[in-house]
Amino acid sequence: MLITKEERMFRIIAYILLICGVVITLIPFIYMISASFKSQIYTFEYPPRLIPRDPTLENYIKALGKDLFGRNFLNSLFVATATTISTIFISSLMAYAFSRMRFPGKEVFFYILLLGMMIPPVMLIIPQFVIAKNLHLLDSLWGLIVVYVSITLSMQTFLLRSFFETIPRELEEAVLVDGGNRWVIFRKIILPLSKPGLAVVAIFTFLYAWDEFPWAHVAIKEASRRTLPVAIALFQSQYLTQWGLLFAATTVASIPVIIVFVIFQRYFIQGLITSGLK
Amino acid sequence: MKVKNKILDKSFLKKILSSKGAYLLLLPGMGLFFTFILFPLIYSLRMSFYKWNIVDIAASKFVGFSNYVRVINDPIFIRAALNTIVYALITVPGQILFALIVAILVDQKIKGRTFFRVAYYIPVISSWVIVTFLFEYLFGSQAGLVNFILKDILHLVDNKIVWLANPILVMIPLNLLGIWKGVGWSAVILLAALQNIPPDLYEAAVIDGAGIWHKITKITLPLLRPTLVFLVVVLTIGGFNVYISGLLMTKGGNPLNLSHFILTLMYKKTFTYLDFGYGSAISYLLTAFIFMVSVIQIKLLRRKVEY
Amino acid sequence: MVIMLIISITFIFGCKKEVTEEVTEETQAVEEVTEEEETTVEEVTVTYWHTMGDAEEVALNKVIEIFEEQYPNIKIETTRMAYDDFKPALLTGIAGGVVPDTARLDIIWVPELAEMGALVALDEEMEGFDEIIANTYPGPTSTNFWKGHYYGLPQNTCTQILVWNKQMFEEAGLSGPPETIDEFVEDAAVLSNPDEEIYGYAMGGTYFWAPASIFYAMGGEVTDSGITTATGYINGEKSVAAYQVLVDMYRDGSLSPLLLGGGGMGVFEGLATGKYAMIIEGPWAQSILNSDYPDFEVNFALVPRGPDVTTSSVVGGENVVIFEGSQNKDEAMVWAKFLLSEESQLTMGEAGVMPTLSTVQGNERLPEYYDVFMEQLKTAKARVPHPKWAEMDNAINNAYQYMLRDEKTVQQALDDAAEEISGLIIEE
Repeated sequence: MLITKEERMFRIIAYILLICGVVITLIPFIYMISASFKSQIYTFEYPPRLIPRDPTLENYIKALGKDLFGRNFLNSLFVATATTISTIFISSLMAYAFSRMRFPGKEVFFYILLLGMMIPPVMLIIPQFVIAKNLHLLDSLWGLIVVYVSITLSMQTFLLRSFFETIPRELEEAVLVDGGNRWVIFRKIILPLSKPGLAVVAIFTFLYAWDEFPWAHVAIKEASRRTLPVAIALFQSQYLTQWGLLFAATTVASIPVIIVFVIFQRYFIQGLITSGLK
Repeated sequence: MKVKNKILDKSFLKKILSSKGAYLLLLPGMGLFFTFILFPLIYSLRMSFYKWNIVDIAASKFVGFSNYVRVINDPIFIRAALNTIVYALITVPGQILFALIVAILVDQKIKGRTFFRVAYYIPVISSWVIVTFLFEYLFGSQAGLVNFILKDILHLVDNKIVWLANPILVMIPLNLLGIWKGVGWSAVILLAALQNIPPDLYEAAVIDGAGIWHKITKITLPLLRPTLVFLVVVLTIGGFNVYISGLLMTKGGNPLNLSHFILTLMYKKTFTYLDFGYGSAISYLLTAFIFMVSVIQIKLLRRKVEY
Repeated sequence: MVIMLIISITFIFGCKKEVTEEVTEETQAVEEVTEEEETTVEEVTVTYWHTMGDAEEVALNKVIEIFEEQYPNIKIETTRMAYDDFKPALLTGIAGGVVPDTARLDIIWVPELAEMGALVALDEEMEGFDEIIANTYPGPTSTNFWKGHYYGLPQNTCTQILVWNKQMFEEAGLSGPPETIDEFVEDAAVLSNPDEEIYGYAMGGTYFWAPASIFYAMGGEVTDSGITTATGYINGEKSVAAYQVLVDMYRDGSLSPLLLGGGGMGVFEGLATGKYAMIIEGPWAQSILNSDYPDFEVNFALVPRGPDVTTSSVVGGENVVIFEGSQNKDEAMVWAKFLLSEESQLTMGEAGVMPTLSTVQGNERLPEYYDVFMEQLKTAKARVPHPKWAEMDNAINNAYQYMLRDEKTVQQALDDAAEEISGLIIEE
């Protein structure tokens, strides 16, 4: 493919803009990582220094060394993964129904689901707690997963439905004409073509479940079953916040989400390749 | 009458039966949704009509609409609503605009695409608590980078600006934070949507002699329309639900209760002042408002896309 | 596909962990049952929620060890909650009927939870209650009192006193910390140099806790002792005088603008780096200054006396309460009482948590710097123990802001606050 002069110029400009944008975007984060290598005394020095004066690993050692940190980390990993898988499964079923099927009450159900997206989660904590208690879902990681899936379902279904809508119906009609049934359509056409959409759902659901705090704090009291955000919150006590530890722990906590993102964002390209195949 | 007749109508019954596949697909999701979202929503609605007592629910006093009336007449609420609406009006276009630029740029065949995608996504994965604190620090009057730049480097101001103590100025770091944190999220979605645009369209345009600008405005944007609509709706919802950043940065609407958002006010009323019914009323008003706005947005912006 | 495999493995791995955990728990339960059958004593678990920091938690575990030795049939199960989210979590728990047996709460919350009916009235239910409070400081104890009953025991307390930078004083030619409010104002003026952002006095905010020490030292009152009205109290002569002193100091440039917010230099940082000559803070000042600024010499002094020759300060701290929803009230009371034993108070005291038991004052196990604080505690006053205190605090906070921003005079601002607070009281 020939690259025109215009395109080359555009690419160079794009590159410059993107780099500038990255710098702006990442400054707070870079500062945080830098502060995680500083001892408490230097956290608030003025003028602010990006490169630590006396870099130290003590924050990381202390934070990761806290008993149960590893356990909390694994708890979060388990919950986030299970939530993501369950959500992908359930919401793709629903999204397919909303996108491709006609049934009485479709509009009603859809708008009710939409409503779920608009509700501020903080508003529902108290009633959700009452219900969770009655269903014996408290103090258990599985309970957490059930609630998380419920909460994020609206958004992910809405997202997937949007993606399904962009897949041309002619493909399915072709399959139907050839004698295939809906299940075949789902497996052979919809799923592969909506890989980008599914990837997005995976990323966002994992992120949500990984970072969630208010519900996790209230629902799980047993220290060994707690998730990471709660464990990190405990680096702050009433009079003292151990910023170095907090930043170090947060940096470590960010790694799995970044990994998930890196893994799944690849599917955008894959989607490009497959969608070219008519 | 009509509904009753409808239900008894045989063909309607037939429709339901033949749709059982659809209902089956919906069952697990809707089941969870009803249990953990819808039912609590109704519970919450009930709470809003009472002076709710969480210890002895039966002792709650029924007050009808008086919680709602109090909310609407509260000048603090009105100010909070204003702050929230302004926040949405600024952050939604802000996020979409920057996300669009980023997505289109990153989608070009540039080296290091993965790096850029990850880099722009980092604010999204950071916890609100941490980034709020970081922005507080950046805009702090003592050691803040922003003041440092404005005063000592650019010499635009003589004195350090006390951003966070001013009820209007504090909105600036809050809004910037909202945009900064959300760009990556929208960019990810737009990037995925860009993948679904068949490259032949672009090739055809190039053959027709179209330049980059033409390609973007005549092909990319129109085909991104469903996604853009989605983003507008979802980001608006998110914007109205702004909460943690406000809670931490304004520490409960300080100064003088002028810097509240609707949800931070709800939090204060519910968990600090223990007025559960009132807090529920606030959330309901917010939810109803968001619902209306979203429906309007969807109906207005939605149109079938033709190739 | 590989990714799906990895995910599934983690999934199963995580599942297994849960299952193994449950199995271990079951085995333990079986073991416990066998033990029980042997000793035929019912074992009760008392749950205790708290927001202690690391050092305190270590001390708490020591206390639990001693307790469980003395009372082998009672096991204490603690849950540490995140401080910022403690109240919402507690309230959600109450709403859902999931309450701990006991908890250590901020003293401010006791009246509102009591009003709700969530707490047990200990003066009625607890044996030996009167004997215990006979030995606790009156200020902290009073924070448990609401509508004729006591709903908690003062577990630990704190108050605020003057922390002063000796070096700055010496350089300014001052011999020692101020002992009266007038000296305080004079010294602060001498020590200030606003152009260089040096201030004689700094406080962290405008919420009532910040000026409370000086407010009480000058004889200010928020309400009458029966808590029936605020009119004539929060806007009474002495209250107005107290706030006037502070506003004047602000105008003169001897009070740092930090209190208006905006992320100025923190009080500890300022004190230790020679930017603030005096601050009024609690016992945590010692550990914070020692850890962050090890070279700084920490000096405490009593809050300067007001014109009526009284010193005073504000009382803070935590109370231990028992919840109405508890299934093990008797055992919970045993635990609560133990927390007020000398042994427990001293052990916790060593970790930086000040005791409420007056009988341990001066005990050699306690850090030396406690002496000044405990001396101050004798005259420190509690804030209004009323369910609507949070809103009252807000009203006073706003008043202070209006004064400092010159939007209202001190009298006006406090008059408005008085009206608002009185209104809140009447609503009951």
